[in-house]
Amino acid sequence: MKVTRRKFLAASGLIGCSLPFSGCSNLSGLIADRMGGGIPEKMPLTDGLRIDPIFHLLSRAGFGPRPGDIERVRQQGAKAWIEEQLEPEKIDDKLCDLRARRFESLELDPGMCYEFKREVLRKDLSRYHLLRSVYSKRQLLESMVEFFSDHFNIYIEKGDCIYLKATDDRFVIRKNALGCFRDLVLASALSPAMLVYLDGKENKKERPDGIPNENYARELLELHTLGVDGGYTQKDVYEAARCLTGWRLYSGKGRGTAYFDPALHDDGQKVVLGTKIPPGQGAKDVELLVEIACRHPSTARHIASKLVAHLVSEEPPSTLVKKVAARFTESSGQIKPMLQEILFSKEFESSAGLKMKRPFHYVVSCLRATGADTMAGDPVIEYLTRMGHGPFQYPTPDGYPAEANPWLGTLLWRWNFAFALCSNSIESANVSLDRLFSAVGLDETNGRKNTAEVLFSYFVGRRPGQSELAAIKEFVNKKDLEDGLVRAELTGLILSSPAFQKV
Amino acid sequence: MPQQSRRQFLKKLALRSSNAASEKTPTLVCVFLRGGADTLNMFVPYADDTYYKIRPTIAVPHPKSGMGAESSLKLDDFYAFHPRLAGLLPIYKEGRMAVVQAVGTDNPTGSHFETQDQMEHGDAYKKTAGGGWLARYLRTRFGNELTPLSAVSIGPIIPESLRGAPGASAISSIDEIRIKAPSENPHFLAKALSDLYAAEVGILSAPGKDTLDLLARVETLRAVDYKPANGKEYPDSGFARGLREIARLIKADVGLDVACIDLDGWDTHFVQGGAAGLQATLIETLSSGLAAFDLDLSGWRKEVVTLVITEFGRRTYENGSLGTDHGRGFAAMIIADGLRGGEVLGRYPGLNEAGWILGPSGLDVLFDYRSFLSEVLTRKMGLKNCKDVFPGFQPQDIGIFERA
Repeated sequence: MKVTRRKFLAASGLIGCSLPFSGCSNLSGLIADRMGGGIPEKMPLTDGLRIDPIFHLLSRAGFGPRPGDIERVRQQGAKAWIEEQLEPEKIDDKLCDLRARRFESLELDPGMCYEFKREVLRKDLSRYHLLRSVYSKRQLLESMVEFFSDHFNIYIEKGDCIYLKATDDRFVIRKNALGCFRDLVLASALSPAMLVYLDGKENKKERPDGIPNENYARELLELHTLGVDGGYTQKDVYEAARCLTGWRLYSGKGRGTAYFDPALHDDGQKVVLGTKIPPGQGAKDVELLVEIACRHPSTARHIASKLVAHLVSEEPPSTLVKKVAARFTESSGQIKPMLQEILFSKEFESSAGLKMKRPFHYVVSCLRATGADTMAGDPVIEYLTRMGHGPFQYPTPDGYPAEANPWLGTLLWRWNFAFALCSNSIESANVSLDRLFSAVGLDETNGRKNTAEVLFSYFVGRRPGQSELAAIKEFVNKKDLEDGLVRAELTGLILSSPAFQKV
Repeated sequence: MPQQSRRQFLKKLALRSSNAASEKTPTLVCVFLRGGADTLNMFVPYADDTYYKIRPTIAVPHPKSGMGAESSLKLDDFYAFHPRLAGLLPIYKEGRMAVVQAVGTDNPTGSHFETQDQMEHGDAYKKTAGGGWLARYLRTRFGNELTPLSAVSIGPIIPESLRGAPGASAISSIDEIRIKAPSENPHFLAKALSDLYAAEVGILSAPGKDTLDLLARVETLRAVDYKPANGKEYPDSGFARGLREIARLIKADVGLDVACIDLDGWDTHFVQGGAAGLQATLIETLSSGLAAFDLDLSGWRKEVVTLVITEFGRRTYENGSLGTDHGRGFAAMIIADGLRGGEVLGRYPGLNEAGWILGPSGLDVLFDYRSFLSEVLTRKMGLKNCKDVFPGFQPQDIGIFERA
């Protein structure tokens, strides 16, 4: 082993900087490791024939378990974990903050962001998003952030959006992701990034015969609230657009913040979805409009259906959707009761392993499962971009597709990510397979016999089926399992298997 | 990949091309302009005064406006090219390109996604035929003879039009199609992956197998460096680079039946520009890319049909923010052999100013988009009729091709 392993490390450029704790290439990683964020010495295995329910919960309501998570949640109990996740502010997230709180450009007022190059902002936004998903203990929050970042999609390459997305992420998405849906819609309607992305800031009535810009109003009804078959008319779109006239962005002092200019607002009477908005309401029009749209029964159905699709199945079971929509209606659009309804449902429990991970989920779950130490540098982000799933890089307002089908062409890139990660050839992401092998009981003395079963169970949450096992065993056959390259290929192979593409 | 199946696979491929020698079906290249392209500013109706009246700031100047490079390029007594379409002018004049005016859907929603989805699925409004129209074309035309490279989409995502197409791949360059094995010996891994995906019964089984088949095929292609014909490199744009990969696959004769490529960014609600500006830049990308593609494939003209469509045209008048909102009819483009080319086909529907407040208006739709696609499939792609591709649809005759 000694020679090949050295050769392998040398090839991946690790030798020069390798620390005694071989999992850590940077200070944050080292500290995290010392504070219990690394790979535990021993991990009991889940080895049922069906996917372990805790494994399922962590994979679906978050981005999959990190080493040691399964045991922690098993002791705590699934129910307690869910309740804890619904109060993210009470969860200590220091270890994640340690890595993710270093992007100056994301903490500043939007006006100050203009001091940065677009390149820097793009990197900081992507890295922050990825790092929080990988390291945050507030996994349900991160999952909802992913969901609502698609629902209220902002494409950062359009106009000035890149300078404004960090504010949108903090004060629209993250602030409200487990809060009240109406607040989320209203915050998004007035979010500088959204005002740029869907041309809201250009929607104005300057002359008596001025024509509004309908872009945002249409997506508000079609995508954000009622849904395309939600029962609104073209006239409703037009009327909604009139309500939204007059919102602008400062350009000089206060650059990047929104304000209302009454002179550019159409202050006449509007009728939206059958409800009259009396003339003279000025800036209040938007609140009234959002209230009307969120109160519409189609909105409850649309949001419930999308949430169930996100957490349960691409084809959301209608009985569950009805229950979740009822939670929405009776709580005036609170998100938490909807999540409780879903996560405690039979439908959720019985859906293990039936969804396909989108590329972002795949990459994050690989990094989590291997206990990778990463600062999410360019090479990691590039894999996401290659698979068509770079953070905030989706051009159209419908957000990245939620269903599996459009992503089926990405298998090869997933495989290549897995092999590169496991062989430590992605700069800025390091895994220690030796520690992982040892933690699951595959150390040098007893690692030969059932390596394939043990590794598979660890990554997939169940024992391999007969043909799965045969395929892996044939690959392992007669290879030296203490050779670093063999370990890398074997682990990469399991991360490339159909079972690990699913969730 | 195991030796045996690889050989079988190549044999199948060889069989296919020897069969096809006499009546080879061209590769169908589908360019989709995402966002709803304002074709009214691309094929300028300069003889219609209303056009200049309702587009006071964004109209493209008259061919005789004396504005030099900003003037549109006269095609006939009525239409002119946007100046940035100059690259396509020789192709048009040689009769190898045609434009069909007032094509569109029956979709009244004005939604990008609804309309794109409907078009990619080849549906009528609110009626689904199941899967994508290109997938149905592939199945109807080739049945089980599809190769792993039958359908390629340039970009990260397989488009809806190919939904249900066995073995559609999304790529940006063929050089990327390989397994990067840590041991630099990908064959063991390919074998293991092949076993694992063969054991899969769900949604991933077919994509896994197709991916592995493709890897084997591309390995042989890769051995040769690619040089475009006539020594002329493509312009530096993602769109042109994508077309270059398509040309490479066409010339390599790997059995490419359909290639899809998108050009995004046509949703010009805000400061669209006229002869110069936002849309003009996109038009330049489109025309320079297609011109390079055409030149590169000058020895393969009978083997390529290129279509350019979008989900809808835009409104005829400009809005308060110097852009245009979602409209209806658009002008479709085709570059192929045997066309009634060098003409803007179909009738000019006029710029309807009435009823513009309520909902999308814009150019009237005189030809359902499926009539346009049906004519291409039956006249160039060897289909007898399109009843399996566009079920329940009665195509109208447009007359895109020369009468035999």
